[in-house]
Amino acid sequence: MPKRVLITDDALFMRITLKNILTKGGYEVVGEAANGKESVDLYLQIKPDLVTMDITMPEMDGITAVREIKKRDPSANIIMCTAMGQKNMVMEAVAAGAKDFIVKPFQPDKVLEAVQKLIG
Amino acid sequence: MKVEYVNPFITAAFSVIETALNIKAEKGPLAMRPCVFTSQQCNIITGVTGMVEGQAIYGMSLITADRIASQMLGQQIRTFDQLAASAIAELGNMITGNAMALLSEAGYICDITPPSIVRGTNVKISTLNIPALVVPICLGLGEIELTVSLQQRS
Repeated sequence: MPKRVLITDDALFMRITLKNILTKGGYEVVGEAANGKESVDLYLQIKPDLVTMDITMPEMDGITAVREIKKRDPSANIIMCTAMGQKNMVMEAVAAGAKDFIVKPFQPDKVLEAVQKLIG
Repeated sequence: MKVEYVNPFITAAFSVIETALNIKAEKGPLAMRPCVFTSQQCNIITGVTGMVEGQAIYGMSLITADRIASQMLGQQIRTFDQLAASAIAELGNMITGNAMALLSEAGYICDITPPSIVRGTNVKISTLNIPALVVPICLGLGEIELTVSLQQRS
């Protein structure tokens, strides 16, 4: 059974790019969320093995979404996938409960490496 | 409007364009405008908030937008649809996002707002009366006009 991933990004382009990378890497993309709130709702419904999370999104930002997901499931595997690579953002995301941080633009190998490290 | 605010955007633009589009970019001559104004046909607008605030706008012709979107999507686009717009917007988001890391290293901690796209010419965008610095970024696919208009938060 392939491991199940939920993608969170407000950019359709980025959701498609990540889906292609993950599918080619042998993972099943079980959901796509366009903002933090959708991601939290979808997480509770589908309980994926891992979530990729953008930070700058309308309605609810990614760091708030990480906190909300971790409140309900402290063991959630979440990787931040964002253009915002500054130290304070990384620290805030890690403090919220994110387990890894990938800065866009990324190479497909980097994404698969980070995902594999967390869920195999 | 300090020149030190614009340099992170130029550095970030070069690095993002090279990684996302696999193209080397070149910088054109820097110019100053009294306010944010763009005569480009397609503009990606990203907002900056925090210790410095304002906007970074990536303007280009419709042909350049089509070419960049095609390169990012790995296939020739037929119409500038939602996916093509999303690809172009993401390019602006990545450049501004990467510039924020460089600005924070210079001591200015900032956040960005989600990008939006404005299509149309002769658009005056900001209501803030901040002068703008304009830098043409030349790539094989056409030219991106980078307009940065930032001021330190009072």
